Amino acid sequence: MTTTVKTTCPYCGVGCGVNLSLPANPNEVVPPVSGDLDHPANFGRLCVKGSSLAQTIKSDDRLLSPQIDGQVATWARAIDTIADKISQVVKDHGPDAFAFYLSGQILTEDYYVANKLAKGFIGTANVDTNSRLCMASAVVGYKRAFGSDTVPCNYDDLERCDLLIMVGSNAAWTHPILFQRIVAAKQQRPSMKIVVIDPRATATCDIADLHLAIRPGSDAAIFSFLLQESARMGLVDDVFVTQHTNQFDATLQQAMESTPDVTTTAAFCGVDEHDLMTLSQWWASNDKAVTFYSQGVNQSSSGVDKCNAIINCHLATARLGKEGAGPFSITGQPNAMGGREVGGLANQLAAHMDFATPGALDLVQRFWQAPNMATQNGLKAVDLFQAIEAGKVKVLWIMSTNPMVSLPDTAQVRRALEKCELVIVSDCKAHTDTTAMADVLLPATGWSEKDGTVTNSERRISRQRGLLPAPGDAKHDWWAICEVAKAMGYGSAFDYQGVHEIFAEHAGLSAFENNGTRDFDIGHYRHITQAQYDGFTPTQWPVPEGKPEGTKRMFADGHFFTQDGRAQFVPINPSLPALKATQQWPFVLNTGRLRDQWHTMTRTGDAPSLAKHTAQPYVDIHPEDAQRLGIIDGALTRLSSPHGEVRLKANVTKSTPQGQIFVPIHWTQQFANAAVVSNLIPQTVDPLSGQPESKHGVVQVERIPLLQYALVVSSRPQSFSEALYWCVIPSDQGFRYEVVWPNGVNLARLKEAFSPLQEALCVERNHWLEYTNPMTGQLRLACLAGGRLDTVVYLSHQPEVVSADWLLSKLASSDALSELDRIALLVGLPANVEDKGNIVCSCYQIGSKQIEKAIASGSETVEALGAVLKCGTNCGSCIPELKHFIPKRMELSA
Amino acid sequence: MHKVVKTLVKERLVIVGGGMAGSKLAYELCRQQSERFHITLIGEEPQLGYNRIMLSSLLAEEVSSADMALVNLEEMVSSGATLISGDPVQGISVEKKSLTLLSGIVMSYDKLIIATGSRATMLPIDGTQASNVIGFRQWQDVNLMSAIKGSQPVSVIGGGLLGLEAAVGLAKRGHQVTVFHRSKWLLNRQLDTESARMLQRKLEAMGVHFRLGASPQTLLQNEKGLVSHVKLTDGEQIATKMVVMAAGITPEVALGKKAGLQVNRAILVDAQMKTSCQDIFALGECCEFDDQTFGLVAPIWTQINVLLAVLAGNHARFLIEPVPTKLKVSGVNLFSVGRIQPNQDDNCIVFNDVGSNHYRKLVVNDGLLVGAILYGNVADGSWYFQLIQNKTNVSDMLDLLVFGEAYCQSKVA
Repeated sequence: MTTTVKTTCPYCGVGCGVNLSLPANPNEVVPPVSGDLDHPANFGRLCVKGSSLAQTIKSDDRLLSPQIDGQVATWARAIDTIADKISQVVKDHGPDAFAFYLSGQILTEDYYVANKLAKGFIGTANVDTNSRLCMASAVVGYKRAFGSDTVPCNYDDLERCDLLIMVGSNAAWTHPILFQRIVAAKQQRPSMKIVVIDPRATATCDIADLHLAIRPGSDAAIFSFLLQESARMGLVDDVFVTQHTNQFDATLQQAMESTPDVTTTAAFCGVDEHDLMTLSQWWASNDKAVTFYSQGVNQSSSGVDKCNAIINCHLATARLGKEGAGPFSITGQPNAMGGREVGGLANQLAAHMDFATPGALDLVQRFWQAPNMATQNGLKAVDLFQAIEAGKVKVLWIMSTNPMVSLPDTAQVRRALEKCELVIVSDCKAHTDTTAMADVLLPATGWSEKDGTVTNSERRISRQRGLLPAPGDAKHDWWAICEVAKAMGYGSAFDYQGVHEIFAEHAGLSAFENNGTRDFDIGHYRHITQAQYDGFTPTQWPVPEGKPEGTKRMFADGHFFTQDGRAQFVPINPSLPALKATQQWPFVLNTGRLRDQWHTMTRTGDAPSLAKHTAQPYVDIHPEDAQRLGIIDGALTRLSSPHGEVRLKANVTKSTPQGQIFVPIHWTQQFANAAVVSNLIPQTVDPLSGQPESKHGVVQVERIPLLQYALVVSSRPQSFSEALYWCVIPSDQGFRYEVVWPNGVNLARLKEAFSPLQEALCVERNHWLEYTNPMTGQLRLACLAGGRLDTVVYLSHQPEVVSADWLLSKLASSDALSELDRIALLVGLPANVEDKGNIVCSCYQIGSKQIEKAIASGSETVEALGAVLKCGTNCGSCIPELKHFIPKRMELSA
Repeated sequence: MHKVVKTLVKERLVIVGGGMAGSKLAYELCRQQSERFHITLIGEEPQLGYNRIMLSSLLAEEVSSADMALVNLEEMVSSGATLISGDPVQGISVEKKSLTLLSGIVMSYDKLIIATGSRATMLPIDGTQASNVIGFRQWQDVNLMSAIKGSQPVSVIGGGLLGLEAAVGLAKRGHQVTVFHRSKWLLNRQLDTESARMLQRKLEAMGVHFRLGASPQTLLQNEKGLVSHVKLTDGEQIATKMVVMAAGITPEVALGKKAGLQVNRAILVDAQMKTSCQDIFALGECCEFDDQTFGLVAPIWTQINVLLAVLAGNHARFLIEPVPTKLKVSGVNLFSVGRIQPNQDDNCIVFNDVGSNHYRKLVVNDGLLVGAILYGNVADGSWYFQLIQNKTNVSDMLDLLVFGEAYCQSKVA
């Protein structure tokens, strides 16, 4: 008997429904998950990350108990420690000495209580989140245009539009299920046009009818141009613009100045004029148009302007609030939207109200019965970490995120965390780059244990359901926050009997004195019971009282949530990224996600199958740049910027333009020693959204000469203190590493480094297999302990591609190694070698099995064997032995 | 002009030497050319036509005397050949085209083939004349070694192929064998130190003791004139019941020299195996061609085929080709061919599996394989041998070469 529960995938912002089954016997392995056929985000489909979720349900490296200064502690002590310290710094330095740094990974209910505690009870708006790095610009863009952070579209619109413009999105990898829905739609309606705007030729370009490989960061000019083309071609919906918007004329005027014609625009963006005109013509001829945008737009020093440049085009043509039309920001994280809804950002108050929203402070204070309301915006992520370094913020509670990897300028983040008086980290993993910096560690429940709600990119609220018991002392994040609140004396406001009560309160606040004035209203749920909460079906907000079916699309009525109800055009003067390439820093660095990894690999790193797509971090570099720098494919390469350095293997590819490089964001110091790309990125942010320009750095790229490249497969964990580069690749059977050393490693040093423990040595005295080839620079070593493979090390002066799978399978195998297997260990793969058996004729190297085979085929005399195998025809001394084979076979056949 | 009339009178072809070369030649002639020749095979040993290579197996009691036959003597007799054993030839008269045997028999020949082989080289030290100092060349030597009863100390001088085979055979018979070898490692012409070390360990496990870098200075004799101790240059004396001389072979050329044939280290022959004298041929270990003498069987078989063709009036030429070395010790697999001590511009690819005593060293020069040592698993030996012989360019398979044919072929495919 298995129990199956519908829950939601914890990866990207698509928010797919997942069926998770739990075997009756808790010792059994959780079977692979399946897609929920009923969930409107995915209708049963799952991408490879989602499909591998069951593999991530394991106890490896779980944080199982609270720790204070590295010592295991009780929850009671940890909570007292935290509460006392917060109270002390608030008393001594004011409430802004405390901050939360939250995550789009936690659930809406977690977010809600954190936001409530900070903004209403401690009295600080220092509640920011890693969503700042993801879609803060999109939030501000929507708010500037619509007066509210409202995504107008839904996923159906992606399938129903006739023109889909994908900007700054490699959805094929980052939002695979949406991409699959788009692919299917295009297959059904080949006339549907797809335009990809991205400096790189990504996997998403596979379905594009047009790819505009723009100069990095020049996106806004494309839409500025489209706006003035809309006017030129008479596409502007005058009625809509007149009745429902402000500022059109000024905005158009600005567009005409910034992007006066196709030539200027094409030159600014570095694209072909003809391609730009094609886009313009398709924009003109397809009323049903969706602009689909993501981090490539948001992570920019002018990200908000880019968003508004996009929205301007949709407002001018009234292409929103209708089927198959709208400016559609796709979020990266599973619950970035939920965080936005509760107000879990430093520049929000609560429930889509800002500090500046007239009456909002009073409203929220009354609803919460809050004693210490924060009154103005707090510190956004980058500012927050700078304030910590400056000593202004003294206690930081990090929840479910890894700023040591994800925030720009890792060195600054490290300095800040070192300076901070108390760093509290709630996580389900014991070892992350950030838990390493914690004073207090709190063990959190993870996906499959957590209970609550998440909201996806189309405003759809779904349940994440806890199915598995929390391991060890792990607790829900909302519980930990409420316990601290109670310890600080706010018990009555945080005394929830269950997570559904938090959701109900959140719903109540959204509806509180709303009356249609605020977009976010889920008042329908304000009295939700445990049973109703358990039976919750995915629904798109707003879900006001009396409208339980929710809302598919926004702004169909032309009403917006600004003071006067009209949408705002925002004049945009397109600008390029803050930093320009120079002679010293000649390459433009772009960053992004891979298909099969997620964020900082704390979850996907547990699924070995996900490492098959891309095992190691890398830097994409154009072949001509690589050749000029003497960099060959797979060679270790040093990237440096004014902020730091990383060392990565080169992936020489034409998918990145000359002068630009691309590095994936995922690898942390838990997986590789020198691959955290944030090391290179400056803390440049959009002045409005505070979102860092994480997709833009300027760097130097160098070949690192005189190296030895190694593959290490071991049954034991290894460390590589002298390596210039190491990367551990997840495996079920053992430990696999890719390592690069400076020249000078020899067999003796390798043997010393990889010797098993003394007791293993005693099992088998002679246990080394060696291979040296000075012509290829190959040096290979296998260590056997007790007749079983313990460790293999392959070394070469050139990057080699050796499949580790077979070697890993040998680690797990308990079969005795044959002589051929032992050779194969140093080759890295089994050969199709005929097993000759024991050599009988040494002159011609003819073995017993060959002889038996020949006899079976009819060569039944010594002469006949000699004729087919040559055995016995030279010195003849094997003839007596050959004779022994013949009767043997006769006996067998008798 | 008389026309040459084909008569029924056969030419008299006499082969001096009943070892492997002589016997095999006689046997093949009997099968192929007995119409034309009357064949006489004369051997000094009591046994004719046995496989000398198997003496080590016989000594090690891995085969019986019945297994020793190289050729079918009965078949030769019934085809009309004359076989004489235990009656060494004493002299050859080139002018009279005749020869004299120890028994006094004088016989004439039309064609004479000298296949007198070689003898164990005796070191120029005192005591080698004692009756318990023997070589390891003849069946009789095996009989002498087999005659020692019990577990006795036995000395073998020379750690080459023959010495090691003798040592293992004696050890298998339960004796306490010590091998004295001048070089620092065994089979120093065929192996390098690493493979020799593996071999030594293996042989030590079989009960053989080694004194490497050790030269006997004197063989000390007792009152009966038998060697009782081997005395080393450092003065140490090691008791011994018997001494087996395996410090190399010396071609047996006395007969040829006396007959006036041109002799260098051995009897000089041309590519048709002809000596300096009309109608006299030589082959096997007693001949020298192109400054080389021969101790392994493969080139000698080639010489026989050349000579068979020449005698049949066909054209044939003998060419020297590299020959791989193997050791005839059961349980020991080693293979060595070509240049195994690298020159300055050679590169060595090495595979070493100490745990299972598997070692491979390949010597590569300018894209060509020039030498190979295999120890333990020698299955790829003949393939490497072909690569050397065919001068195959191996540049494209350097990364897999040492792992053998199967890997390299799969790469090509």
